[in-house]
Amino acid sequence: MNAQGGSGGTNGKLKVAKYWASSCGGCDISLLEIGPHLLELIEAADVVFWPCAADFKYDDVARYPDGYIDVCLFNGGVRSSEQEEIARLLRKKSKTLVAYGTCAIDGGIPALANLTTPSEIYDVVYHRNPSLDNPNGVEPAPVFETPYGELHLPRLYPQVLRLKDVVEVDYQIPGCPPQANQVWKVLQAVVAGQVPARNDAVTVGCGDKVVCDECPREKRQVRVKGFTRPHLAIPEPGWCLLEQGFVCMGPATRSGCEALCVKANLGCRGCYTAPSGVEDRGTAMIGAIGSIIDATVEERAHEIVGQIVDPIGTFYRFSMASSSLKGRR
Amino acid sequence: MVDEQVVHTKAADAAVAGWEPRIIAFLCYWCSYTGADNAGTARLKYPANVDIIRVMCSGRIDPELIMTAFARGADGVLVCGCHIGDCHYLAGNHKTMARMPLVRSVLADLGIEPERFVHEWVSAAEGEKFAQIVRQTTEQIRQVGPLNWPKRMHERGVGHGMDLQPWGDRR
Amino acid sequence: MAGTGGNLSGRGHEFAPDARIGVFICHCGGNISDVVDVKRVADEIGTLPGVVLSMTHMFVCSDPGQGLIEQHIKELTLDRVVVAACSPTLHQATFRRTLTRAGLNPYLFEHVNIREQVSWVVVDKEKATRKAIRLIRAAVERTRRLAPLDKRRIPIYPAALVIGGGVAGLVAARDLATRGMKVTLVEHRPFLGGRMAQLHTVFPTGEQARDLLAGLVHDVVRHPLITVLANAQVVHSEGVVGDFQVRVRIEPRGADERLKDQGNAIAACPEETLNDFNFGLSRRKAIYMAYPGCYPPIPAIDWHSCTKCGKCVAAVGGKGITLDEPPRDVQLRCGVIVMATGHDPYEPLYGEFGYGIFPRVITLQQLNRLLDPEGPTGGQLLSGGPPPRRVAFIHCVGARQLDGQSTGRAKDYCARTCCTAALHAALAIKEHHPETQITSFYQDIRTYGRGHEVYYERAAEQGVLFIRYKPEHPPRVVPDPQGRWPLVVQADDLLTGGLSLEAPTDLVVLATGVGHHDIAELIGIYCCAVGADSFLMEIHPKLRPVEMSTAGVFLAGSCQGPMNISEACAMASAAASKAAAHIAAAQIEMDPFIAKVDEAICTGCQTCLTVCPYGAITRDQARKIAKVNEALCIGCGTCAAACPSNAIQQLGFTDAQVLSEIETLLEGAAVI
Repeated sequence: MNAQGGSGGTNGKLKVAKYWASSCGGCDISLLEIGPHLLELIEAADVVFWPCAADFKYDDVARYPDGYIDVCLFNGGVRSSEQEEIARLLRKKSKTLVAYGTCAIDGGIPALANLTTPSEIYDVVYHRNPSLDNPNGVEPAPVFETPYGELHLPRLYPQVLRLKDVVEVDYQIPGCPPQANQVWKVLQAVVAGQVPARNDAVTVGCGDKVVCDECPREKRQVRVKGFTRPHLAIPEPGWCLLEQGFVCMGPATRSGCEALCVKANLGCRGCYTAPSGVEDRGTAMIGAIGSIIDATVEERAHEIVGQIVDPIGTFYRFSMASSSLKGRR
Repeated sequence: MVDEQVVHTKAADAAVAGWEPRIIAFLCYWCSYTGADNAGTARLKYPANVDIIRVMCSGRIDPELIMTAFARGADGVLVCGCHIGDCHYLAGNHKTMARMPLVRSVLADLGIEPERFVHEWVSAAEGEKFAQIVRQTTEQIRQVGPLNWPKRMHERGVGHGMDLQPWGDRR
Repeated sequence: MAGTGGNLSGRGHEFAPDARIGVFICHCGGNISDVVDVKRVADEIGTLPGVVLSMTHMFVCSDPGQGLIEQHIKELTLDRVVVAACSPTLHQATFRRTLTRAGLNPYLFEHVNIREQVSWVVVDKEKATRKAIRLIRAAVERTRRLAPLDKRRIPIYPAALVIGGGVAGLVAARDLATRGMKVTLVEHRPFLGGRMAQLHTVFPTGEQARDLLAGLVHDVVRHPLITVLANAQVVHSEGVVGDFQVRVRIEPRGADERLKDQGNAIAACPEETLNDFNFGLSRRKAIYMAYPGCYPPIPAIDWHSCTKCGKCVAAVGGKGITLDEPPRDVQLRCGVIVMATGHDPYEPLYGEFGYGIFPRVITLQQLNRLLDPEGPTGGQLLSGGPPPRRVAFIHCVGARQLDGQSTGRAKDYCARTCCTAALHAALAIKEHHPETQITSFYQDIRTYGRGHEVYYERAAEQGVLFIRYKPEHPPRVVPDPQGRWPLVVQADDLLTGGLSLEAPTDLVVLATGVGHHDIAELIGIYCCAVGADSFLMEIHPKLRPVEMSTAGVFLAGSCQGPMNISEACAMASAAASKAAAHIAAAQIEMDPFIAKVDEAICTGCQTCLTVCPYGAITRDQARKIAKVNEALCIGCGTCAAACPSNAIQQLGFTDAQVLSEIETLLEGAAVI
């Protein structure tokens, strides 16, 4: 890797950056998951910014010429002033900006914070958590005076935003995290120069159907008589999990992961972004599930639907920031 | 140092002079829309706040339509269909019947007051019932005040962030 | 089949930015313009992009009004039209035809309701005007997303199937055949005639029911175009509207036309069972004839009671009776189906007004069998005894019931015919036994029909007492504590302020309501719409009373609701007429608002297959996507709402169209 972040380094290799915003670190690991292909990657590309794995500073990036970075993989949601500033910085400095992973595309799990408020979060994290040792009730302060000057901390936003909410995004690679084989396919295309710059949030590294297409189980076109959960029942093999009553987001989730979770007998959680005609897959799934319930009287419909635990957390688990209503008022 | 949400009091919002509840209603053509016509033929009177969108069957009412209505600024949404057992298309309202509780649960978790989302079965002969539903829904939404979802989302930075300068430019 | 037109991509975006829209706003002779400032509305709408014409007219639906639309379409090359007027249920079809005459696709049209839903209900004129503007603006936006559509035209196979051989089915079959249609009539019992055969005289003419029926049956069975299949049921149906392939299962009759010695065969049979033709008042053998003069005039074997002992066979020397014949299936093809499956009388619950506990409590249907000289007692009311001194009728049994009182909501409707029928029976009793005292306990007397009121008058003239009761306090039937009478009816007489009365009586007759006849399988096969009262449901009670929402299936008679014979015949003729019109037109026209799959996006998740109640969606196994059968699709849009990829859209109600309405209606609602 080229440790010099200087301007105009022309050694014929691609300049690649990776940044993590509001995330868990999984996307960085997913890049490493390409395994031995990393060696091929290193042949073709230089990392010029990757906070998780290399010691480049923001100032380094700021000093790059505009468009210096060939491909920037940006994962995580944007929910602080720092993340927004860096998102804008990286957009300026990158020819191609990729929203990497579902957090950057749809908000991901961090976007569930849109159901609460920063002050609620602070209250729990710094005051009410049972495992806390914070007798003086110290909270992070926006500005801290030291003898050597003021220290500033980034502001927490009330909303977890998607990358495309703040800057123009060229490509999106979905997944929580994106699966290694898909990542490598995309990187190969990038390395081979087959991914043109500046496109309108085109989703790559996935299929063009939904998880049902990759799922080995079969539908019997029966209506759902009741909902259960993975720890409460053992699914019948070969039969669609959703029809059996295990909530599965498969019908409203983009294919590409090869139905990993379903093959492990767990209903799809919905991490691989929305199918191509859909913005709000949580609501799309509600429409679908409500339609296949086996009830001809209201009490029964309410009863069955009531068996779905935490609907908002289930259907909007990864896509709160892409939903129609975005979050709690 | 938390970016506090601006606290919206009902008074503050309603202070926008002359605010009137904006309610979108989805009515199925065969029963509830005809029921609404029935109210008109009987010259019953009700507030002007409910704008009716007709669909052929309440089964057409995708939860996305309801969410979009709120997202675009509706203060309330009304969904009407045929009584269970009377659906012109056999079972369309069975789907509505199962979808609405899920919608209601999600709206509640999003902080949208339950009074804002009303779901009623109205038959073609129930003009008086329809008029009463409109009056009651308009009044209860007037009590809870404007929702103004686009404004809230704008304030949270949805779609534009906080429009901060990129890091480098600050130096 | 003619195509359904329209290219769809994605959410049904058929956005026409250069649309030339004409808007016509109706005064409706003041009905609208007295409240809504139509001129101001026209001016405002005229400022919208693409609106080439925005004008008002006194009566847009009138000939001159329609002529104006036609003229402007041509002169201004309009390609979208909006009419803001009364409810679309009235004139939407009218205006669509106007567009067709002007050479424009009739579905490039939006109808806005600013009368029933604005001017007639909103008091404040300013608010009404603004509302009208909002609704019309939304319609204008919607028109930009409309695609031309064509009505579906489905060819009809020129034959009819009538299910049910009672009076309604017979009339329908006869009327269809008279028009030259080939008809198959299927009756699930071994004998034709239905409920009418169980009557003795009919009101208001007093004629013999079975004589009338015999004439009708004669016309039907002799007609060269009609095939009658008795002891037969529809078990399977395939194909689409206009071309049904129906499998009918004919149960073995047991006897055939070779059987000459019917009397001996029946006498030899050792098995007996309750005779349901006589509502359980008598017994019959396992091999039987339903009633005198029945058709087919060949005995049938009731296989539930028959033990196959063979005694009947032995009694007739083996000729004409076969005990081991299996059922046989007949395949037939038809283009239209008339449902004439009839009703069942309400069976009172055990103990309801003493029914089942006291043998002297009977139903009106049973009374009619007793009064029938060809009935189980030869016309005697109390068999083997003197005529009754007193008879009490109780009306509204199993009808107009309050919730929870007996069987609940399903029987809260009036059964229509029983008041006249009860009075008719009362007068029949009086005719034979003028000295019999009759008391009628009623809620209301509904002798509504032509020639019916006279029964009420005559009954009163002949001394029938009428005691009115409140539904909350129905009469009570108890044994006479003094034992001088079999029963006493206790009631609170509403007309004298609730005075408690006791009427000792020899016989209590319950004038019972009617319920649907159970045809759950047929309902499933043909996806029939059923009302909350469990009867089959018509498309529209006023304008389309004999058609069902399943295209090509028609309703005749009491399967649709309580009605008397005149009404059943009228409906049956209407159904036959409609059905014949379809066959004559050689095609059925259906609305084009059907589901369409965007094959590029469909993910093959099969949610829509599970959702469709008509089975109109199947899976293309090769391409792994959904396929809509355009002839079966009924146009509800439920699949469109259910699809988790937004790949299936309902033409005319696409997401893009409906969302544009929502967004336009709410413009300016939220102030940022």
